[in-house]
Amino acid sequence: MPSLREAQAAFARGLLDASDTAVLAHLAGAHGMDADAGLAVYRNSTFSNYRGALREAYPVIQRLVGEEYFDQAADDFIRFTPSTFGDVNLYGAGFGDFLASYPGARELVYLPDVARLEWAVHLAFQDIDCEPPDFARLADVPPERLAALRFSLHPSVRLLTSPWPVLAIWRANQPACDDNEAVDLGSGGNRLLVIRRGHDVDLELVSAAEFAALAALANKASLGDALEVAHMADPDFDFGAFLQRHAAVGTLADFTLE
Amino acid sequence: MRTRPDSVSATILPARAGIGLRAPHYRELLDTLPDIGWLEVHSENYFGGGRPLWFLEQLRAHYPVSLHGVGMSLGATTHLDPDHLSRLKALIERIEPGLVSEHLSWGAVEGRHLNDLLPLPYTEEALAHVCSRIMQVQDFLGRRILIENISSYLRWKHDAIPEWEFVAEVARRTGCGLLLDVNNIYVSAVNHGFDPRAYLAALPAHRVEEIHLAGFDEGAGCLIDTHGKRVADPVWQLYREALVRLDPRPTLIEWDTDIPALSVLLDEAAMAQCILEEEHALAA
Repeated sequence: MPSLREAQAAFARGLLDASDTAVLAHLAGAHGMDADAGLAVYRNSTFSNYRGALREAYPVIQRLVGEEYFDQAADDFIRFTPSTFGDVNLYGAGFGDFLASYPGARELVYLPDVARLEWAVHLAFQDIDCEPPDFARLADVPPERLAALRFSLHPSVRLLTSPWPVLAIWRANQPACDDNEAVDLGSGGNRLLVIRRGHDVDLELVSAAEFAALAALANKASLGDALEVAHMADPDFDFGAFLQRHAAVGTLADFTLE
Repeated sequence: MRTRPDSVSATILPARAGIGLRAPHYRELLDTLPDIGWLEVHSENYFGGGRPLWFLEQLRAHYPVSLHGVGMSLGATTHLDPDHLSRLKALIERIEPGLVSEHLSWGAVEGRHLNDLLPLPYTEEALAHVCSRIMQVQDFLGRRILIENISSYLRWKHDAIPEWEFVAEVARRTGCGLLLDVNNIYVSAVNHGFDPRAYLAALPAHRVEEIHLAGFDEGAGCLIDTHGKRVADPVWQLYREALVRLDPRPTLIEWDTDIPALSVLLDEAAMAQCILEEEHALAA
């Protein structure tokens, strides 16, 4: 008799790979079915569960490659990519990287970056809420210490860059958009801020300096260091206006002074 | 339509029919506030913030709510995920649910989750293991949880304890409540050829605090618990029989695939409500 741990490990192997039949010796099928067919019922439901999670997260990829090809890619991804959360809503990270080397998808060079953008949007919808910070407290910070402030960003913030116009591709493939005008792939790359504001997720194109400043803040850099990297990208960058705007629209979540 | 109460609705689930809250119905439910007893959600879908949590909090002001988990994997031999537990605890503090439930199943092995409700071997080893995990969860959450019986398409050859005795013993050893899924009993009874009435008779009635009803599909050679259809006639019949033994209990209509119009769910809930009232009148 296998131990609980052994029994479950063998079941998991047979569930994910129909050619691994070791567990069948320990299982009895439903009345009128052999164990193999019973395990196939679970296998179908497991794959369809993960496929559903991927469809939910990657609707644009699905529209770009078609349903049949998407499902085939999804099934191969599922075989190689263990789920690491009990919450299936979090399954599907890394599908973009997977597509980068997947036969037939490699020619669609922009596909991995579109998938990375969709994953950022998917997570942004699910991230926790955060209370707006009390910026009035900033008045208590002595001016000479302002550069030492460290801001945190809203939990849903993600920053992405791509050499492809992924925002235009994403917009042209939304359900409400039946304008199938081709996106000009030569129209240049994007730097993007993805953030949930209220119930909606916003996708914003940002400049090189703004991107550098946000990335620095996201990495817990001080205000002074963020200012420096922004000015390296653009000496004329208006850092004050940048801070005011992102405080007003909820990108900046809170701040600490060490 | 019910009138809007001034404050947050009562916490305790009434012994009435409720429905599963699903995203396609958020807006219509909040606009129409139909006369149903309570709502149940899948806990994991509200671990984040944004739109889902906003609607749940709005609806919580009008209905008692039950949190039903599908991802805890109580029967697995891997570690309980502390992050998952913390998120559940935070949601409990925020929503003040009447009941919190999980499944008597496993769904993870070392290195990966399987995100499914898989059948345990009904052995002494599994019983001791799952009971210790339930107690860990109850200790962490600082409250009792309910445990739901699952449906299954396979059983382990080394099962040593009938499923109904296993379920009853889990409740006895851990002090947890039971969430009796009548559809799951029916599906498993047909699949494995046992008497669903013997199952009902074996459960400690005072431990059963909630009932689930759902629809199944007929697969090739077995019934499959899809939650994608109306409740089947033999399941309604078994529900009546369960109520004779249990007295009225909060009863949920669950629907998770091919989610229909809200009116269809309310129609099913009205049917359950009607049976609850009939059985209650008979018992009185």
